[in-house]
Amino acid sequence: MRKFLQSTGAVIFLLLLFSLTASELSGQSRKKKENTDIWKYEIEGVQTGVQGTYLIKVWSYSPNANLAIEQAKKNAVHGIIFRGFAGTGRVPGQRALATNPNLEEEKHDFFRLFFAEGGKYLKFVSLTNDGAVAAEDRLRVGKEYKIGVIMSVNVDALRKDLEEAGIIKSLGRGF
Amino acid sequence: MKKLLITIFILSCTAFNLLSQAKKPTIMVVPSDLWCNTNGYMMEFDNQGTRVKLPDYKRAMQESADLMVVISKINELMTQRGFPLKNLESSLKTLEIEAAESAMTSSRSGSELSESPVDKLKNIARADIWIQMTWTINNMGPRKSVTFVLQGLDAYTDKQVAGASGTGNQLIGAELPIMLETAVLSHLDNFNAQLQQHFEDMFENGREITLRIRKWDSFDGDLMSEYAGEELGFHIENWISENTVQGRFSTADASENRMIFEQVRIPLYDANNRAVDARTWLRGLQRYLKDRFMIDSRITMRGLGQATLTVGEK
Repeated sequence: MRKFLQSTGAVIFLLLLFSLTASELSGQSRKKKENTDIWKYEIEGVQTGVQGTYLIKVWSYSPNANLAIEQAKKNAVHGIIFRGFAGTGRVPGQRALATNPNLEEEKHDFFRLFFAEGGKYLKFVSLTNDGAVAAEDRLRVGKEYKIGVIMSVNVDALRKDLEEAGIIKSLGRGF
Repeated sequence: MKKLLITIFILSCTAFNLLSQAKKPTIMVVPSDLWCNTNGYMMEFDNQGTRVKLPDYKRAMQESADLMVVISKINELMTQRGFPLKNLESSLKTLEIEAAESAMTSSRSGSELSESPVDKLKNIARADIWIQMTWTINNMGPRKSVTFVLQGLDAYTDKQVAGASGTGNQLIGAELPIMLETAVLSHLDNFNAQLQQHFEDMFENGREITLRIRKWDSFDGDLMSEYAGEELGFHIENWISENTVQGRFSTADASENRMIFEQVRIPLYDANNRAVDARTWLRGLQRYLKDRFMIDSRITMRGLGQATLTVGEK
């Protein structure tokens, strides 16, 4: 009887642990999605990158600092496609790849897959310095963290990919 | 039978696509007059008593390695974007070779090639859009920075269709070619974004050209002579209004001897879906004048976007 209770207790404990972990994971995933859906971030140029790349700092907001770092990759690619970034000092800003301001809505299906968790966007972005965040780039704003991560975005490859998918027009299109 | 129909359909679609490509403008990178003057690459000549200074591109290309770096980098990046540029140095060489060949060419009967003074005048490097660049080196003690300016100029409308400029970081001990390469990398994407806007505007609102109407001395009449109850100049203006995209043009100058039309927006394709440039578009006006008023005329052109119709005779 005691043996039975012990084994049942162990099973219940494991089930509880599993459900807690699952809910934590789904909560994180939901938070990720919420943070991504509103696209709350800022971008600034850091330096002229090597040929075909932009070196940028992405400021992402999230209640979870680690989540903010992870979301920064998605935000970086999103920013390069739809927003561009302003210049800082002697680093010139760059325009967005998309010239149509309604592109995101018009090609919703494409971008939903593109920016899905583990989506294609990851091909075009890499963290510099292994994603280490400088102390001055980790700020607390109200209940949220504002984390600045320096990233390199392969803009040439990204542009080519979007051109080949027919999402944006190439320079020589129509000629 | 079904296969045959499908093949015909695919072939006709392909043919349609081939025909529906607009005439591609040529682009060439050149150093600006300011850069040539600052760096001593100018040539002077006496034009009927007036000293005229012109940039000496050939000598600049032969003597300035920095210029070569910048032009080569811009050409490389534009080729990557699927828009290869005409190379200044190669164009100058081609002109020299052509001139040498023309001088030596004769027919079996000993006849030489025809060349009018105008033809000789037109033997220059040509492009539809010039990318004019300038850079200056700023020294602050041991620190150096580069101010870089790129201007995309339409050869026919004289409008700046794209531009990018800025000053790079102050560096100590950096090599100039590397600073120049960085400047090109920093500014070319913004420049191309504006160039693309220019092309998109062209596809939407037509190609912008400049048009001149002149008359030969031998013409029995002028642009103010009345034909069918109206002055010839107004007939021409009406035709232009009816044949431009949304009737867009502006009359910059009009007299009995000449008319100048600017910001003339011509369609990119004709009724048969063939690509159109200023010359082919102006053939319509030439035919109109001949059919309606029995007036002969001659078309002369400069590139895709400038044409002159001289009325009175061929």
